[in-house]
Amino acid sequence: MRKDALSRLDSRTLVLIALRLAPLMLFAILCVAFGLLSDRFISLANFRNILTQSTHVAVMAIGMTFVLLVRGVDLSIGSAMYLVAVTLGLYLPDLPLLVSIPAIILIGVIFGAVNASFITGLRIASFIVTLATLFIGRGFALYLSETRMVFQSDTVQTLGRSSFVGLPWAIWIAASVAAVAWVTLTQTPFGRQIYAVGADPDAAAKAGIRVQAIVFSVFCICGACAAVGALISVSQVGGASATFGYQEEFPVIAAAVLGGTSLFGGRGGVIGSIFGAVLVQTTSNGLVMLNANPYLYPLVNSLIIFVAAWVDGRRRIMTERLEQRKIRVEA
Amino acid sequence: MSDLLLKVSGLNKSFFGVPVLRDVGLELHRGAVLGLVGENGSGKSTTMNILGGVLAKDSGRVELDGEEVAPTNSRDALALGIAFIHQELSLFPNLSVEENIFLDHFPRKFARLPFVDRRTLRDRAQKAIELVDLRVSPVTPVMRLPQGERQLVEIAKALSRQARLIIFDEPTTSLTARETERLFTIIGRLRAQGISIIYISHILGDVLRLCDEIAVLRDGQVVGAGPRDDFTIERLVTLMVGRTIDRLFPERNPVSGPQRTALSVRGVSQPGIVKDISFDLSLGEVLGVSGLMGSGRSELARILFGLDPYSEGEIRVQDAKLPPLAPRAAMDRGMAFLTEDRRGEGLMMEASISDNIVLPSLVEQSSGFLRWLNPSELTKAARDVAERIRVNAKAVDRTAVRTLSGGNQQKVVIAKWLLRAPSIFILDEPTRGIDVGAKYEVYKIINEMVGAGAAVLFISSEIEELIGMADRIMVMGRGEVRGFFSRGSFDRETLMGAALWE
Amino acid sequence: MSETGGVLSTVSGGTRSRPMNVVRWLLLSDYLVLALTALYVAALWFFVPEILSPTNLRDVFLQILPLFVAAMGLMMVLMVAQIDLSATSIMAMGCVVGASIMTDQGGYLAEHASAPVVAILAMVAIGLLIGVLNGVCTIVFDMPSFLVTLTTMMFFSGAAVWYTAAHTSSGSSIGGLPPAFIEIGYGGVAGIPYAAIITVALAIVVHLVLTRTVFGRWVRAVGLNPRAAAISGVPVRAVVVGCFALSGLFSALAAIIYTARLEAGTPILGQRILLDVIGAAVIGGVSLFGGKGTVIGVLVGVLFLSVVDNGLQLLGLSLSSVYAIKGGVILVAAVTDAIRHNLMARG
Repeated sequence: MRKDALSRLDSRTLVLIALRLAPLMLFAILCVAFGLLSDRFISLANFRNILTQSTHVAVMAIGMTFVLLVRGVDLSIGSAMYLVAVTLGLYLPDLPLLVSIPAIILIGVIFGAVNASFITGLRIASFIVTLATLFIGRGFALYLSETRMVFQSDTVQTLGRSSFVGLPWAIWIAASVAAVAWVTLTQTPFGRQIYAVGADPDAAAKAGIRVQAIVFSVFCICGACAAVGALISVSQVGGASATFGYQEEFPVIAAAVLGGTSLFGGRGGVIGSIFGAVLVQTTSNGLVMLNANPYLYPLVNSLIIFVAAWVDGRRRIMTERLEQRKIRVEA
Repeated sequence: MSDLLLKVSGLNKSFFGVPVLRDVGLELHRGAVLGLVGENGSGKSTTMNILGGVLAKDSGRVELDGEEVAPTNSRDALALGIAFIHQELSLFPNLSVEENIFLDHFPRKFARLPFVDRRTLRDRAQKAIELVDLRVSPVTPVMRLPQGERQLVEIAKALSRQARLIIFDEPTTSLTARETERLFTIIGRLRAQGISIIYISHILGDVLRLCDEIAVLRDGQVVGAGPRDDFTIERLVTLMVGRTIDRLFPERNPVSGPQRTALSVRGVSQPGIVKDISFDLSLGEVLGVSGLMGSGRSELARILFGLDPYSEGEIRVQDAKLPPLAPRAAMDRGMAFLTEDRRGEGLMMEASISDNIVLPSLVEQSSGFLRWLNPSELTKAARDVAERIRVNAKAVDRTAVRTLSGGNQQKVVIAKWLLRAPSIFILDEPTRGIDVGAKYEVYKIINEMVGAGAAVLFISSEIEELIGMADRIMVMGRGEVRGFFSRGSFDRETLMGAALWE
Repeated sequence: MSETGGVLSTVSGGTRSRPMNVVRWLLLSDYLVLALTALYVAALWFFVPEILSPTNLRDVFLQILPLFVAAMGLMMVLMVAQIDLSATSIMAMGCVVGASIMTDQGGYLAEHASAPVVAILAMVAIGLLIGVLNGVCTIVFDMPSFLVTLTTMMFFSGAAVWYTAAHTSSGSSIGGLPPAFIEIGYGGVAGIPYAAIITVALAIVVHLVLTRTVFGRWVRAVGLNPRAAAISGVPVRAVVVGCFALSGLFSALAAIIYTARLEAGTPILGQRILLDVIGAAVIGGVSLFGGKGTVIGVLVGVLFLSVVDNGLQLLGLSLSSVYAIKGGVILVAAVTDAIRHNLMARG
């Protein structure tokens, strides 16, 4: 058989596998390092803490994954979060959760739909559109809140403090979102077509897939996830200040990318994004446990995102080389 | 149910006022294979694109099973049972085989609910790939399949849609011999099932082997059609070309006497791309490079010009070693490269004619440490060159290249290099997609350059073009040099054979 | 990052209706933004006539200058079809480092005559270095520029905050800058502010570079078609890195002016300006798709944004409204750019 080609394939595949496992290895190294440097890090309570604190990023990272899969990006989720928190605190405090939760999800969907209209309707780059709606959204929300702290109703605050069957509600909510998202991405035609659109939007259109409808939907989904993320976060914090959700898009994108979602579309998943969120939170938690200089946080975070993006880039180039059509050597 | 599946009559199509199809008519019977043969620009792709819904016809009639059809996009065409398997496969490498096959019509669990029925999917996919003799698991990501197997997935995709007509466009250019045989077996099986096939290929030997009927297109018209037995390779070639060589190409006065070697290539290799390429190119000589698409010619050109790397070998320009991966160095030594993709790599479509023409020469036209430019001087230089080769445009500094015809665009690309007065000119498919009149003018320009002492490396898929223009022809296949032919011994049949050889 | 949008080009034929023709002309016209600015001022004059008062005009003029400098830098990056989100964090970093050198409260060169000069050189160096870093990561590591500059933005914003805290007791800004430096902010010679001299000089230089030098043409070529540019012998990588370096340099230069005006080094300098800078460039006709941009266009864009800002503030609208409206204006600019792009492609 083609021995040379085969062994070359093997070493390349090995490198690809190594690249894919890089985030996992990073996580392991981090845990070991933090564990050695601080005795408070390795404990069940701390791990539960990490999980709970990473839920809102995880949920939003899942939403962002949908968008990244089709080669888009949503920079406005932080403002969507704030808008939702403000609306929830100011206009919906007396409603039972069963009503207010669908209501805020609807707000998130509408926010996403606004983004999507410009992106699919007018074919403008998603990062410019969402950069603009980032400011428009926050401006509008600041107008509603008059730049004052918006406290949440007791119902919402209780949600943040209480647990169900031993686990905080936040984890249950995040788990539900994750389950729905996972099923959508892996078990529905819509989900599989998302991957196709990300891989090659032109071929997808030729294959009869409604590309614009899919792109529209993923931005709505991202908005909905931002709303859920806002609920989790604001219930834990108790109120939304003028900087609630500010620059939240960074750790969210980082989480998605760390979890294996490619910035170039077509690759990524729910489980990876959750893992990415946990990884980012672990880093922050570890730094806190170490009593590290708080000024270090943005530095470390940005470095991790950078490394993740670099790995993603290398992975893409290697995959492209593997797929490149070459003159085949006869056996 | 009649025996005739497809009937095309009176098909016409023009682009920007230039007719590309003139009264084209075809007939295809059920379960038969129709071979479609013709040069680049003969109208084969346009005809098939109309059938496949990618383009709209201007006039004419397409009948499928007696009913007139006019697909407006590929989805329509698929629904009608027409599957078009392009040379560039449209699969999604990040999805599995089964998902690719059923991407737009997944079997659902519980009728209306949007859940994929994985088990049914697996079964149906398994059956589809068995039909094409593909022995992989349906869950394999397409990314892991070699080209030949991906093509089988495409065929399985067509079959799963109950295609009545499958169009193959140059299917074997990236296949090994074994994969090609497998493809032919499957085509035989498809025929037996009553599926009709249109087979487009440059490889005339295959066409004669596979097809029941053949149609030859030239300049947008059907110049010959009939059962396979009516044709031989020679007759096909004659029909494809249509004219005697003499009237197609301008007079050439081959430079006499020994000339200096301009370019010397020894043992250049790049794994998977080209292997052990060696040749010499003299000033005043035209060296044609022929071979199928995928034989490595364009890749070789890119390596010579310094755009792509090579692992072994040496390239010398006028007896001095040329550093690899340095287009600027190549240009400084007098090399020029006209790529085969003028829209993607040759021109800045939104920029003006003069902007495009002066781009490679900016450094030479500038002065001073800060490299100042004089816009009016640049425009004048551009205008001079453009006039010399008769680019048809009024204001070179205000007309965007995008608005020009294909022929004029190609002239702009040539002008861009002419401004540098290159001594070694690498041309990759210089007359692709331009009409006959413009072609003749391009040939004249090339002859003039060669007469003035330049060396030309002429890559072309049209064998007649090389016969008419070249002093020597180098035939490439599968990344290697297969042989050299000199002008005295240009034998059309042998050349054809060598070029179309599998 | 490529988008799933696309441009359909069809053979255009047939006639268009009259009103559509006018709209088309307007959208494609280069004077659109100037016209809108004039319209806006006229409209607002009814409500706040002080918009045309000499003091106000002077204020707007001074505000425009550093923004214009920063926007010109960003234009270079946009013209090669990239983006630089870190511009404002470069300003912050340069600002605090420069201040730390000059400040009389324990600065590295406190009370030294050369302090301002060294500080300025340091700021310029930082701008260049971060710019080169951005460029190298984008083009050598083949990473999308928006992600690279996003991370550098995070990193250097955080670094600036840390640096400030490490160098001052109050933790939020470094004051006590030498008067010689502060002069740059509002001082001038013969009635012309220093800032204006710097800005105009830079504008002339950039304009000449873009229109009259090889580098300028190369920038345009890389933005329009990098592959064709490479084949035509353009050193694409060097050009892209150069543009990022210029963007960093110009951010630093703008920071000098801002710092002089604030009379302090603060890490939140420029935090709100990012959108203004990008928006001004886009409004000014610099295409997000690359290959298109002029100095005059950027000036017009800066003018428009500053006037809008100024008018809204005079109207007494809250900061949040200004935020939101400006975001809307950017969106409109991007929409116009996209429509313009589509119209041109359709021929």
